[in-house]
Amino acid sequence: MWLPPLAPSIVLLGLFVAGPILWCFYAAFTNSALSGIAARRPRFVGLDNFTTAFTSPDVAASLWLTVVFVLLSAVVGQNGLGILLAVFMQHKGKVLRGIVGTVVVAAWVLPEVVAAFAIYAFLNAQGTLNEVLGWFGMSQNWLYTAPMLAVVLANIWRGTAFSMLVYQAALSEVPSDLVEAAQVDGAGPVRRFWHVVLPVIRRTVVTNLMLITLQTLGVFGLIYVLTAGGPDNKTQTLPLLMYEQAFKFGQIGYGTAIALVLLVLGAVFSVVYIRSLKAEV
Amino acid sequence: MRARTIAAGLAVAALTLPLAACGGGGDSSSGDAKTIKIVYRNYSDFPQMDTFMKEVKKQFEAANPGITAQLTPVSSLDSDYLAKVQLMQRSPSTAPDVLFEDSFNVNADAAAGYLLPIDDYLAKWPDWNSQFIPTTKQAGKAVDGKTYAVPMGTDSRGLWFNKDIFAKAGLPTDWQPKTWNDVLDAARKIKQTQPDVEPMYLPLGKPAAEAMSMQTLEMLLYGTPTKNLYDEQAGKWVAPSKGFQDALGYVQTVMKENLAQTAAQAEDTQWAQTQMPLLMSQGKIGFMMDGGWYARYWQDGGVAPWPNWSKTLGTTKFPTQNGQAPGNVTLSGGWTLAVGASTGNPEASMKFIETALNKENSASIDVACSWLPVREDVKADPRLAATDPTEPFWSSLVSFTRYRPTLAEYPQVSNAMDVAGDSVVNGGDPAQAAQQWAKDVAKAVGSDKVKTG
Amino acid sequence: MRGPRLVVNLVLLVVAVLFVAPLLWLLTASFDAHGGLSAQVPGKFTLSNFGHILTWDIGGRPLLNGLFISGGAAIIVIVVAVLAAYPLSRYQLRFRRPFLYTILFTTGLPVTAIMVPVYGLFVRLGLVDSLWGTTVFLAATALPMAIWMCKNFMDGIPVSLEEAAWVDGASSMQALRSIVLPLMAPGVAVVGIFTFIQAWGNFFVPFVLLLDPAKTPASVNIYSFFGQNGLVAYGQLAAYSILYTAPVLGLYLVVSRWLGGGFSMAGAVKA
Repeated sequence: MWLPPLAPSIVLLGLFVAGPILWCFYAAFTNSALSGIAARRPRFVGLDNFTTAFTSPDVAASLWLTVVFVLLSAVVGQNGLGILLAVFMQHKGKVLRGIVGTVVVAAWVLPEVVAAFAIYAFLNAQGTLNEVLGWFGMSQNWLYTAPMLAVVLANIWRGTAFSMLVYQAALSEVPSDLVEAAQVDGAGPVRRFWHVVLPVIRRTVVTNLMLITLQTLGVFGLIYVLTAGGPDNKTQTLPLLMYEQAFKFGQIGYGTAIALVLLVLGAVFSVVYIRSLKAEV
Repeated sequence: MRARTIAAGLAVAALTLPLAACGGGGDSSSGDAKTIKIVYRNYSDFPQMDTFMKEVKKQFEAANPGITAQLTPVSSLDSDYLAKVQLMQRSPSTAPDVLFEDSFNVNADAAAGYLLPIDDYLAKWPDWNSQFIPTTKQAGKAVDGKTYAVPMGTDSRGLWFNKDIFAKAGLPTDWQPKTWNDVLDAARKIKQTQPDVEPMYLPLGKPAAEAMSMQTLEMLLYGTPTKNLYDEQAGKWVAPSKGFQDALGYVQTVMKENLAQTAAQAEDTQWAQTQMPLLMSQGKIGFMMDGGWYARYWQDGGVAPWPNWSKTLGTTKFPTQNGQAPGNVTLSGGWTLAVGASTGNPEASMKFIETALNKENSASIDVACSWLPVREDVKADPRLAATDPTEPFWSSLVSFTRYRPTLAEYPQVSNAMDVAGDSVVNGGDPAQAAQQWAKDVAKAVGSDKVKTG
Repeated sequence: MRGPRLVVNLVLLVVAVLFVAPLLWLLTASFDAHGGLSAQVPGKFTLSNFGHILTWDIGGRPLLNGLFISGGAAIIVIVVAVLAAYPLSRYQLRFRRPFLYTILFTTGLPVTAIMVPVYGLFVRLGLVDSLWGTTVFLAATALPMAIWMCKNFMDGIPVSLEEAAWVDGASSMQALRSIVLPLMAPGVAVVGIFTFIQAWGNFFVPFVLLLDPAKTPASVNIYSFFGQNGLVAYGQLAAYSILYTAPVLGLYLVVSRWLGGGFSMAGAVKA
């Protein structure tokens, strides 16, 4: 009898998540708005919102920026750094592990707006980084000259802890005799990792990538506080575009259409991961 | 089998309930007739509205026993306040009875059916007819001709300049520029004579948002032969517009010759709010194009207190492009108090507004917020000039002020202006930006609602 | 073996320094009377920033509201997710894979996207301006991730243990409670903390669903430091940030200590 234990989840998810998402599917086909005539009498507009979205250079740009942001900060950044840290910390003493672990996790535990502001203070033209770089004559206004890099670094800073913890756990379950056998066979550390360890933790890699991709797709506050999507829309990812359309302009119909694009993007990423690494639930 | 049916039933119920709920409508109106809900904005460095409302509540409840005014402040940033209030208005049971509303939103909210037309009540209010300045009444009027809100205060825009810096640059300390070139030349002179001073400041960059649209681009545009953003008689938006292109050209000149803040400073999300008032007070900026309310920042308790600000700073009007009539430009915005359409007690709501904006209270909020008076009898209040000696100047501009086209599509048109302005700030070409803007406007309002100008 | 070892240690140290760097500002600015944007030794050391924020209105009540909302959400999530994970892990259900993937996909949608229909729904249910309503909603949105993780944790516990209990006459629920749950404790703690952190940092949901300013949590109140035109009192913001972060940090430290010095995701991300 699987129903009773699943019932609370079905009710909560159905009522508060699935229901509203279904409403979004409906709203995306109307010109629903927060104010104006469309607020009182929303009209069914068919695929108009979607055609506008797909022919809009803004949406295309945001889509591209979102993909770049996810690839750089999650797939390469958080994931890569997470694995690196997990591997490096494997046989270290408690002290080093404790320090590095705590510091990395502190950035993760920080509430988003605090994290955003800490990074803003750090990367700002009058910020800490420039104070230090100034000694070497290398200071610049990072948030202006390299905004995407700035938000990518901010997201890596913020989210690496999750990957690190996941991989630490996964690595601890790799049978040590397997690795030792390879060592005896003369394989160096890199080869050991690539050919022995990685295949064993493959499923973890896929799932981790999927989870952090989905999390990163929805990142909003961090970018908003750091660059507000600028300069010149250079960091306006889909969540920011959606927020602007839905809440700044009150265009709920159009904003929701963009949100659905985001949802599809997430599904696409997930399918790519699962297919390419052929893992299963 | 039974389990599956039950599960399916649960799922269907769970899913359809929200869909049914989101149909909206059918809700009863807000609360009982004995309580009216007052919604307004509140910030940690802008507690004046909260203090004001508490005072009005006291007066109102004393004069109207049996009715409670429930104060519901919303503590947030600008755009969030708007979103929050609009969400509240969407559902009659959470809609405010009286709300603090930017004049800019009146049209859209009226069209959405959120606001109550109050012409009948206003007709019975002697103050409205005898004391409120006629141009300011526009603030609460919608395109359907009905009035939905009562103005609390207004503002105007022009030029603040530092007399010391001007003297050093050989510029007149009673500066009265007649054309755009006069303004630019002054900046150039300052740059030549005092290289470590930033000649001018004007709101620019994506973070400036509406400030760039209104204080910079529209101030310029309304001074060109094109004159308008929206042609009321034709009922059409003016895009493409030579005036707008010229406005962008002005920005390009400023950026190219380094006469104002750098592009990097313009794009910094915090610079304008945090550094600007401070730099002005330190004599690092020659002049700035912004609003009269800036005095608030230099006063005691402001962000960049500057005891001698009124002696060092002069004020003057911003000129039209080539000095053509009417010679000067200014724009006004302003906040109002409106009545919610689903209020359970319109008479009480109106009484609250009448109390809030009687002579004494209107004066006190205008003084507290550095707003310009909208009532004739408040104009003479000595406190206004006492806290801000430049107040009579800004007030004098109200007689020829223009308002923004407060149609529902304005936010999108304004955003398109920001995008265009932003691209020029970052080195883009004004002609291209103007063309793109015209296309964006046509898309936002419909190609049948635009005309060339 | 010295060379590579040294490099590894160096890399770890560099990473640690880079991670700590942005946090320094929080510490220095909060004690600085004229806190600026860069981490400098406070020119004028002061405790007034903390004094200003440690009042009931500004620092006290919002923190308590946040604790209620986040703690409540975490507890609800733990109970509901563990229950849901049980059939997903133990029974061969045909809809298992589609169900798990579907709920996972929903996490790619930022919550801001559904706030308009949620607000309407809450009005219908009479849950607007209710701390409980907000708590339950945050729990619901945290469920997908939580169910996923709990199911994976549970997969790692051999069924044989429960089978032994069944043989002795225990029901599934009893076996769940006495055998599986204790073994899953670390995993449950991870899920709880995760949910708490998400809820603690969430601004938009409580902002939209709560009306009474006395009910808003710290995540909403922190924005009041941004002032009307974004003018920021940096020193106070830094102090408030520390105050605001302390509970989550503390909770994390307590839980990871209780788990035996290791906050481990072991078994969380398997499938």
